[in-house]
Amino acid sequence: MTNPTNVQRSRRGGSGEVPLQTRANTIVKAADHATPLELSDITIRYGGGKGGAEAVSVVEGFDLTLHAGEMHCVAGRSGSGKTSILTVGAGLTLPTSGRVFWEGDSLESMGDDEIADRRRALIGYVDQGGALIDGMSALENVLLPAVPDGEVDQRRDMAKDLLDLVGLGRRMRHRPAQLSGGERQRVAIARALILGTRVLVVDEPTASLDRASANRIISILKDTTSDGIAVLVASHDHELVRLSDSLTELI
Amino acid sequence: MNAVQRFIRSRVLLLTAAILIAAMCLSVLVQSQSQAALSRTVDENSRGLYDVLVQAKAPTGALLQPEIANGTGGISFEQLDAIRKLSGTSVAAPISLVSRVTQNLEAPRLDAMDYLGYNAGLAGTATADQAAGATAPEQWPAAESVLSDNTKKYRLTASAVTSDGVSEQTLFKSTAEGTLGKARLVEEKAAGGTSIRIAAPRDETGIKFPSPAGGSEHNLFNLSVSLPLAPEVTESVVAVDPAAERALLGSAGDFLAPLEKAPPADARDAGAIGRYFEGLFTNGIRLDELQEGPDFLGVKLKYWAPLMTQYQQAKRTGQLTADSQAIPLIVRSGTSLDLKYNVRIEEIDDAGKVVQEVGTVSRSLDKDYLPFVSKDPFVLSWPGSTDHSSLLGATGNFNQGLYTPAQWSTDFAAAPRYTDGDTAANGAVDKTAVPGEWVTVNRLPEKSANGTPVDQTQREPVDERAYRENLETGKKTAAPLAMVYGTFDPSAVAAAAGDVNKLPLGGYDPTPFTLVKDAAGNDVPATELEPSLSATGLASQSAGAITDYYGLAAARGYTENAAVIDAVRVRAKAPGSWKEAQPDVEQLAADIREMGLEATIVAGSAREDASIFVPGYYKDDAGKESALGTVQQSWVRQNAADAVTGSLSGTNVTLLFLTLCGAALLTGASTVSYIRKRRSEAGTLRAMGWTQRRIRSWVLEEFGVGAVLLAVVGVVLSLVSWSLATALVCVAVLVLYAAAALFAAQQLRHRDVIDQEPQHDERLIQVDSPLTFANRQLSTNKFNTLSLAVAVGVFGAAVGGLIALLIDIPRAAGASALSGLAAAAVAMPSILLALAGVVVGLVLTLVTGRFELNAKRQYLGILQAMGWNPDMLRQVRLFENALVGTVALPLGVLGALGIGLLLAPYAALWAGVAGLVAVLCWIPIATKVVQ
Repeated sequence: MTNPTNVQRSRRGGSGEVPLQTRANTIVKAADHATPLELSDITIRYGGGKGGAEAVSVVEGFDLTLHAGEMHCVAGRSGSGKTSILTVGAGLTLPTSGRVFWEGDSLESMGDDEIADRRRALIGYVDQGGALIDGMSALENVLLPAVPDGEVDQRRDMAKDLLDLVGLGRRMRHRPAQLSGGERQRVAIARALILGTRVLVVDEPTASLDRASANRIISILKDTTSDGIAVLVASHDHELVRLSDSLTELI
Repeated sequence: MNAVQRFIRSRVLLLTAAILIAAMCLSVLVQSQSQAALSRTVDENSRGLYDVLVQAKAPTGALLQPEIANGTGGISFEQLDAIRKLSGTSVAAPISLVSRVTQNLEAPRLDAMDYLGYNAGLAGTATADQAAGATAPEQWPAAESVLSDNTKKYRLTASAVTSDGVSEQTLFKSTAEGTLGKARLVEEKAAGGTSIRIAAPRDETGIKFPSPAGGSEHNLFNLSVSLPLAPEVTESVVAVDPAAERALLGSAGDFLAPLEKAPPADARDAGAIGRYFEGLFTNGIRLDELQEGPDFLGVKLKYWAPLMTQYQQAKRTGQLTADSQAIPLIVRSGTSLDLKYNVRIEEIDDAGKVVQEVGTVSRSLDKDYLPFVSKDPFVLSWPGSTDHSSLLGATGNFNQGLYTPAQWSTDFAAAPRYTDGDTAANGAVDKTAVPGEWVTVNRLPEKSANGTPVDQTQREPVDERAYRENLETGKKTAAPLAMVYGTFDPSAVAAAAGDVNKLPLGGYDPTPFTLVKDAAGNDVPATELEPSLSATGLASQSAGAITDYYGLAAARGYTENAAVIDAVRVRAKAPGSWKEAQPDVEQLAADIREMGLEATIVAGSAREDASIFVPGYYKDDAGKESALGTVQQSWVRQNAADAVTGSLSGTNVTLLFLTLCGAALLTGASTVSYIRKRRSEAGTLRAMGWTQRRIRSWVLEEFGVGAVLLAVVGVVLSLVSWSLATALVCVAVLVLYAAAALFAAQQLRHRDVIDQEPQHDERLIQVDSPLTFANRQLSTNKFNTLSLAVAVGVFGAAVGGLIALLIDIPRAAGASALSGLAAAAVAMPSILLALAGVVVGLVLTLVTGRFELNAKRQYLGILQAMGWNPDMLRQVRLFENALVGTVALPLGVLGALGIGLLLAPYAALWAGVAGLVAVLCWIPIATKVVQ
């Protein structure tokens, strides 16, 4: 696949149809401190290394401005680059070109340690399937982000509250192997929120879940936005797409 | 896809089979190599020159130290003949210690060229036709001298230094002063004509050292200054039978060939021989005849020369009797005695102040010294001198005083008594020498060669432990006179005798002592002790052997044949190795014991090093004693071949066991890897409707292919090596493989998942740091952690074993004869095995390390996503490996120590250290690898 056409659609206020915009119509706002996450002219390519393989361009010139309390959904078919956009936004991988701003600061000027520190304070990342650490209970998993700052004990009550919030207050001593897929996903969301995250980056939270479990996840995500947390979610779940404040559909 | 294709596709199974086949091949290699080395070593070394040592009945210990001076005798000629007549006897070679020979060397002198030119009155008969090689008068060069017309005052400082191998010892240092000048010819009228004589310059005082040195005098060619000291050298002599000795030594005994037939009775009559040659000289003999000489009873004249010197000496001193015997004697072609003589010459003024350093001249009595035949060993030459004495040619005078004859003594040093101490792993025994009484040594002879008293102040006598014993010499004294017949090469004899079973009883070449620790116990550079000039030291150098037992009887003081044989070395007729000949040798020894003699089986023995501490060796004037230190000497240890056999067999078993252990570990690791890879595949098959039984068959078929392969290789290897051990190893490998197959089939069966209550244990350590996180991960995956730790431990132990072998092989090779050879022979397979162990350990760590690699990468990614920075992630990896290393450390160190103790006990500690370092090095390397 070469140079796929990315189409971005925005919907403000969560009501009514939002106009479909082509790349030429992409709205790029100037970065400011009220904007927790901004992606500017992001291009992501894979391959083209020493083996002579042809480079595959997954994302071309992608722009996104995510405001506090906003839930933005990145939709698209498999392989369209949804997860790539999320990992770039979370600072886990670097884009081929383009810039990523966290609260107005470009990641280009940061070292690995600073990115890790800022990520811990700003972004909660929820992997597809809610990857948890085996051998550790749900509560311990939720507390893991607090380890680097040595705040495990201080955050313990908050972790329990969060697990209560996601409906797992009675299962906090269970290990990942003893939890269902939806439960693991909820534990992962709780873990992402433990440090007072301002941006929640969630990859396919409802994939392979039954409707009821998916709706519960969607509900949790929606509730977080009401607390001023921005949510960047990759999904092709219609319900999630419908409830998101803005949408980018990758073709 | 059939089972064979699946087996090939499953690289883990293929790898497992390959590893087990490699283990089987390695075990065969180890066995074949070490067995071959063992057989070769024992065959070549367990039988020496002789099998049984026969002595007069006396208590004997297990160690057969050459008893240099234990000459108590006791075996008669009749008993010797009886031994020779035994049906099992091939060679019976007698040996006895005869005596020590004290050689008073010629008094040293310093010759300064002071040649006066030709003068018919002085040169006398020195014309071309009167003396062979003489220069015609008209061709004599002009007079020349290193001395001046006017006398000058000189100071001569003479010193003699000897070395006992530990330190140099100054025997004396003496100074004399006087004036010297060029000689002059003095013509004086005498009755009937004019006499010419050589005279010193009128104002010359000459130089004279204290007596017995004779002072200085001028002669035709030199000014000769007599120097102090006549060094005394004492050596031991044994008696052997030429024919039997040659039979033992083979070609190295060829020097004995002319003496295989014992000299006739008249050849032992010293008086008769002396009178014969005196008559010969009286009647006149040409110089060329003198040099080659007429043979007397088939022996050239030159060989009789030492006898003649002693004959004349004995005749003059009245010692020659009708019973005096001439003893055929062979001597070493050199010795290692070390004695250096220095003379410093200074020109001084009347006040004694040095005007000019003329120079220092020296002469060293070293390996060129030969007892009985050395001439002018200590004639030193003034710097710048030329020897013109050859102008006269060879005078042919056969004068007493050509050199001072040797004196025989039956009062000689005996070996010290030893007390056994600890026995080391290789059989070496610590010993302590028990000295005898103090005696004063380094003492000058009571009288000089011309009978005058000797000034004893020239030397400072020293008290030493003497180890002296007196020999019972019988009722009648005799004067054995040496007849030097030839020389032997001690190295050739040693080569013929081999490193095992050297000739005992002070034979030709007693094993040397090596000083390894000083008196304070500190290590010193290994120093081979040279023979002591004091004649009382531990080391004794054999001068040679007399080859006439009738002469020996005379030396012992017997007029008739007597029991003068100290020991008989008997070789059995039975051919082959010690193991093959053992029954016959034991039967022969039993037969000899029935004769009332002591028979010690020497075959199957080997030399081992023994450490001997020698206390109270020196005593100074104040009476303070000091020890010599610790010396090492090789001893004969009986049944060492059996010990080596047992040792190597033990090593074999150990190596095979270790090989199997490594194979088992690797098989276990690869089986677990196989199970993990096939678990999802088994689930899919189950979902497709496969029954449990069919899935098990599916697994076992794959393993079956490998089992068939292993069985074929095992059978082939067993047949090729034809060894029960190989067959056992192959069976063990097959059993191992079958167990792995059953285990894999069992693990891949379906298990119903039972919903359980929370299993989280609150007692677990809370995760609040990278260290506690690493700990939790490892404790969650105990099997993988343990597998990895065992693998790392195996790696460390193998590295330790390899290092121990590399360190120990040079030591083992030099430790002793038999064990050294055996150790050297099995060195390569041992190193190969240790290297294989290192490789197996590495493969194990890689295989087990890969088990959780994906899971590890996943959770490291999760931690990264939640904001753990790179340094913390590195800490997690480091702590994980450090914890694994902590578990592996005792395994690696103890394993290395164990292997070291089994294979290389002297380097076991190094093995442990190497195992420790290997495991510690693995930690950062593994941390770096798992990025």
